[in-house]
Amino acid sequence: MTGTVDFAREAPGDEGSALIDVMPDVAARSPFQLFWRRLRTDRVALAAAALIVLLVLMAICAPLIVKLVGARPPNQQSDKYFSLGKVGVPSPTGPSSKNLFGVDPLGRDLFSRVVYGARVSLEIALAATALSVAIGLVVGLFAGYFRGWVDTVLSRLVDVLLAFPILLLGIGIASACSLGHGCLGGLIKPGLGVVILVISFVNWTYIARIVRGQVLSLREREFVEAARSLGASHMRIMFREILPNLVAPLIVYATLIIPQNILFEAALSFLGVGVQPPDPSWGKMIADATDVFDTAWWYMVFPGAALLLTVLAFNLLGDGLQDAINPRASRS
Amino acid sequence: MRQGDIPRRPGRTTERIRMRTFLVWMSIALAAAAALLVAGCGGTAGKKGGTLTVLSQGDVDSLDPGYQYYQYDYEALSQPAQRTLYGWKPNLRKPSPDFAASMPKLSNGGKTITIKLKSGVRFSPPVNRVATAADVKYAMERDFLPQVANSYAPVYYGDIVGVKAFTDGKAKGISGIQAPNPTTLVIKTTKPVGVLTTANALTLPGTAPVPKEYAQKFDKGKTSTYGQHVVFTGPYMIPNDRSGKITGWTPSKRLELVRNPNWDRKTDYRPAYLERIAFLAGNDLSLATRRILSGNGQISGDFAAPPVADFKLALEHYPSQVSFTPGDSYRSITMNTTVKPFDNVNVRKAVAAVIDRNALVATRGGSRIGPVATHYIPPFLPGFQEAGGSKSPYDYMSQPNGNLALAKRYMRKAGYASGRYNGPSLLMVGDDSAPAKNTGEAVQSQLQQLGFKLNYQQVPHEVANSKFCGVPKQKVAICPNWAWGKDFYDSQSMIDPTFNGKNIVPSNNSNLSELNDPKLNAAMDRAERIPDPAGRAKAWGAIDKAVTGLAVQVPWIWDNDVNLRSKNVKAVTNLFNGTWDVAFTSIK
Repeated sequence: MTGTVDFAREAPGDEGSALIDVMPDVAARSPFQLFWRRLRTDRVALAAAALIVLLVLMAICAPLIVKLVGARPPNQQSDKYFSLGKVGVPSPTGPSSKNLFGVDPLGRDLFSRVVYGARVSLEIALAATALSVAIGLVVGLFAGYFRGWVDTVLSRLVDVLLAFPILLLGIGIASACSLGHGCLGGLIKPGLGVVILVISFVNWTYIARIVRGQVLSLREREFVEAARSLGASHMRIMFREILPNLVAPLIVYATLIIPQNILFEAALSFLGVGVQPPDPSWGKMIADATDVFDTAWWYMVFPGAALLLTVLAFNLLGDGLQDAINPRASRS
Repeated sequence: MRQGDIPRRPGRTTERIRMRTFLVWMSIALAAAAALLVAGCGGTAGKKGGTLTVLSQGDVDSLDPGYQYYQYDYEALSQPAQRTLYGWKPNLRKPSPDFAASMPKLSNGGKTITIKLKSGVRFSPPVNRVATAADVKYAMERDFLPQVANSYAPVYYGDIVGVKAFTDGKAKGISGIQAPNPTTLVIKTTKPVGVLTTANALTLPGTAPVPKEYAQKFDKGKTSTYGQHVVFTGPYMIPNDRSGKITGWTPSKRLELVRNPNWDRKTDYRPAYLERIAFLAGNDLSLATRRILSGNGQISGDFAAPPVADFKLALEHYPSQVSFTPGDSYRSITMNTTVKPFDNVNVRKAVAAVIDRNALVATRGGSRIGPVATHYIPPFLPGFQEAGGSKSPYDYMSQPNGNLALAKRYMRKAGYASGRYNGPSLLMVGDDSAPAKNTGEAVQSQLQQLGFKLNYQQVPHEVANSKFCGVPKQKVAICPNWAWGKDFYDSQSMIDPTFNGKNIVPSNNSNLSELNDPKLNAAMDRAERIPDPAGRAKAWGAIDKAVTGLAVQVPWIWDNDVNLRSKNVKAVTNLFNGTWDVAFTSIK
């Protein structure tokens, strides 16, 4: 409880705009209430949020949706939906009542693969984001709170990682860990785990930097000094006093990282080092579709549209959240 | 030979089949019949002159005739630029004299082989002199030098008198290869070797003459550098400088052939119409296909078949520019009998039963690409009928669309009460590019019907074989992209390298199933020694049937090679190689 109260009391940062929004009724509002009031007026962000909720529902209920629509399971191949054409070469057929989005070159139903692809994309993006936020938060907290040599070491580490061409690094790690029985003596097995690991490995640095900056200023605040004078331990100050004040910005940045991670997963899968078959991944579908684009346009269009919508929704929501939490930043 | 042998140089990708070692006997009867059957186009005259461009994905393995053994090496170098003792005319399934003047003469119970050579075959600059029997002797001797790294000499030429003394370093040359005069070559063997008496193994690139006084200095050291200084006896040569150093080759990019000024048309059966031929490596298959079909003066090089979508486009819009030749090969899904549960024959039969081979054929372009296979020896090879022809005596190989109920019965027989596999997940390693990738994914989803969970890894083509499937230590359970082709028109080369227990080796292994059945091994050893073609066909056909009965692999297609040409190219395919033969090709 300390955290929230501290936040309200100690970080009223946005009082100016808040007052304008709140208007004559001067009742006390928690920061969350203020935030929600502002967000409520942002229609675009709300629409994006609704779309994301839909996506999440679609991912969770993928088997049900596929069943309701009457589509085949995503990995079931069939040569029933090939057309032989004039020359007897089997090629996939386009959208029809049997296959809403058409079939892929293996005769699998593209609709169910796109729906299940949302699962893979969200699973990876959320897990990778959670992992990178966790790592970045801890590193940033320590660097910002202890300063001195701890900060030097951690910040240089972050600088070094940021200097890496991350896509190349990601491809390197992914391909090293995706072969045979995995890497690090079999600790990391090929599959979704590798992709999540790679993405979080290259993404935590941004979070670490942001958190460090925030902590550097927060640690000088009175409530921190008060806690220190009461004899609170470093750990208590970091995690019970400072951390709660970071929750709001973290949510914003996490929302902005998610679409990046979705795209990163798609890029890795496109390059052949991401999700392993037969798991449907939008990036992999787009990659496979490049071979057959002029004879099977649907294979690229539907996964591409799904990817576009998802990334756009997360980006718009992220922007909205940022505006709501820190309206001045966006206005200036 | 097999699809994608160990890569000789890193970074190559191809689906072409590489020549592989194995003893071979000839079926004269079949070859003669085949010659009648196959419509030849080598006889018609073409126009002289012009430049041809060959578009390829990868490059040749080596310029050194002592090393070459890859299908594309034959197409780009061995056929147009070298004169081996015997060669393959485009439409014949038997050897024809090339540097030799006639077929071998046998004496001493088949243990002495006398070969008359043509006079007037000359080396390209800077050697310029006439090639003689001594040059063939040196060529065959250097095939045994470790620095040349030839892969078939011990198998085909190992029974020549004096080989052991030579390889042990006790003799300076091989005493059983003699050159009594410049146009006579005598080969003596310790026992009759059918592969030599029928001239089959004397068609190999390693019999092309090599001038000792010029090449010897390059054959010193750890790796021979003769390839960078090679001289030619065929109608074409790679441009070189005055010292003989090759200048017309940029590895993985471009290989150029120009006319060999020292080649005499009168001594050769090759018409050699073209003035220049450029082999361009590093092409994208899809783009290359379109460029060839819509362009001028181009043909396909090392790719066995274009991607399915492009194949369709080719047949729809450019049907006359697509050519099919029987690949004399099969593609199969291999199961490793040393990895559980594939030690159980009933599990293997269940896998064979569940596989929808028609669906797999569809991933490569459908029935135009080849018929569904029911066993290993392909049509046109002796033993095909004896092995069952197109039919199969086994229920699990009889239904090209697969049969889940039958597969489940076999699973129950194997002790899986539910009819589904419930053990740990299995390692499957396949190619990462289409169409092989699609085949692998199709196999994966078909196996899921039986409950198989796979750790399916897609890796570059050459890695799949050199690092995983061909390395028993890796314990890869399933390889979905295996293929194997003939060396010659004898079915020993289809069966023995891939199923004889003695051929399991720690790396570059071709017995992927690690089948080591004492009874079968003994039958194969017996069949190797059978001299007459009919007896061999019967024996190898029976062994094929027995191996199919163990269901260690699921052969699913006997595929054709698909070759493409531009409209203005009068291209000729070579049946032996399955590719275009540039020495017979001309520009309209």
